[in-house]
Amino acid sequence: MALSSTIFLFALLPISLIGCYLLKDKFSNIFIIAISLIFYSWANTKMIIILIAAILVNYLFALGIENFHKRSSISKSIMILSLIYNVGILWYFKYLIFTVSSINALTGATLTIPSITLPLGISFFTFRAISYVLDVYFENSKAQKNIINVGLYISFFPQLVMGPITKYVTFEKQLNERKVSFDNFAEGTRRFILGLSKKMILSNGIATMVDNVFALPDSERTILLAWMGIIGYLLQLYFDFSGYSDMAIGLSKMFGFNCPENFNYPYISKSIGEYWRRWHITLGAWFKDYVYTPVFRGIMHKKNFITKGSFTIQQSDILSLLVVWLCTGIWHGANWTFVVWGIYYFIFIVAERLIQDAKKKRAKKLRIPKREETKIAAVRAHAYTLLVIIIGQVIFRATSVSAAVKYVESMFGLYGNKFVDSLTVYYLKGNWVLILLGIIFCLPIAAKMNELRDRYMVLNRTSKVILPIVYITLFIIGVSYVLTDTYQSFIYFQF
Amino acid sequence: MNKEKVLEAVTEILADILDDESIVVTYSTIASDVENWDSLAHLQIITTIESKFNIRFSLGEINNFADVGELCDSIVKHLG
Repeated sequence: MALSSTIFLFALLPISLIGCYLLKDKFSNIFIIAISLIFYSWANTKMIIILIAAILVNYLFALGIENFHKRSSISKSIMILSLIYNVGILWYFKYLIFTVSSINALTGATLTIPSITLPLGISFFTFRAISYVLDVYFENSKAQKNIINVGLYISFFPQLVMGPITKYVTFEKQLNERKVSFDNFAEGTRRFILGLSKKMILSNGIATMVDNVFALPDSERTILLAWMGIIGYLLQLYFDFSGYSDMAIGLSKMFGFNCPENFNYPYISKSIGEYWRRWHITLGAWFKDYVYTPVFRGIMHKKNFITKGSFTIQQSDILSLLVVWLCTGIWHGANWTFVVWGIYYFIFIVAERLIQDAKKKRAKKLRIPKREETKIAAVRAHAYTLLVIIIGQVIFRATSVSAAVKYVESMFGLYGNKFVDSLTVYYLKGNWVLILLGIIFCLPIAAKMNELRDRYMVLNRTSKVILPIVYITLFIIGVSYVLTDTYQSFIYFQF
Repeated sequence: MNKEKVLEAVTEILADILDDESIVVTYSTIASDVENWDSLAHLQIITTIESKFNIRFSLGEINNFADVGELCDSIVKHLG
């Protein structure tokens, strides 16, 4: 079920809110789990078994880890077993078809390709389950004696199918301390409306143009249309995913949970490293805590098999980043495009770090004082970052690596593409307003407006009248699109 | 070694790794307040502290120090 579907907005959401506000804490939690299971099983009832199994099995794994805490080898074995189980389930449902097809393609074998339906949001709830077990193993948290709490964490419906991936240690504190209040409800509602509008108005509005441009033969796509298509896709993806995150954060707030932010204006970044600190923040944090840090520490304490000495910090960093970016790429989907996409970002992040290190060393050696960044340097850094993201997202969007290469070639007119034609003008006329609005809303104007509102009393008073009207209007427009639009699916549902 | 001495040693390590000799660190300083204190710098700091004090932090500790005060407390605990 999608958070923007009619059945959710007009049936499940009101019922869940009424239930949650009427019931006491313990019963309220049980009620939310029941709603989460209905939410999850709506499209495919059988898949609920996988979710329930994830709750039960990881509940037991965590208890086992804590029970054998003093005998660290047993505790470690249970932790490894839990990883094999969780990653194994994920691999079976998400990567088995890809593995068999790749073996067939590489070796010429004719293994039968299995028919497997991908359970909705499996990548997200599996990562939450792993977070729970590892937080107990690393002693960040105590194992839950109450399975309801584990169930609530893994299956909490606002964050179930597309995140944000709240770490268990963060969620745990709120299990017994969450506050259901009118203020939280009002704040959550505003955030939900904002997310719904991003998805229904901006993302869905641009989606058709993007699909059509990517479907055109590479030689028939004009240069301007190729750029419009990929810029449109950047906007579609951002408003789709950040819109869903806003809806999830808003809903969590309505139920008294504080959910971590997932986006922080990623397209204003001036380096790829900064971009990944602003895009899908909770996934980055998950990989940092549960992959990067353990791998880094593991490498630092191993002997370098080439030099026979220890690994340096820089070598450990690069090797850990390689592991993280291969995992990040594969996590996004069972296709070679995602592996290439992960390696692509790994190369840029490592290159940026090496250049930055060299600059620092040089400045230290020559005693060059720190200088403010000039405007030209800032524009150059911003342009470089956007260009890298644009090419990266072509790989992300394309169906194959060769299709991605061909699309990029069409962006630079390598097929003898015209610069503009009548079809380009047609798409430009139909989409320029949405593209312009999209670009404006990628900038931190809301933060600037809040700053001005706090500074000037007149604006503060005016906003108290205008903002409710804006939210009500957005809600009406958003809902009218929900009732009429057929383009409902969220891009990250497939991951 | 007491907590104050540990803070002095930690400040020296931070100044060296973050390349800021004039850095002012208190018990309530947090990573996001300090320029260049990113995830790699954090691991560099942790690794250097471990080697200087001859101690070993757990992975749970590394990811969850709320501020420099907690880091110093943990060092004192490991030394004790």
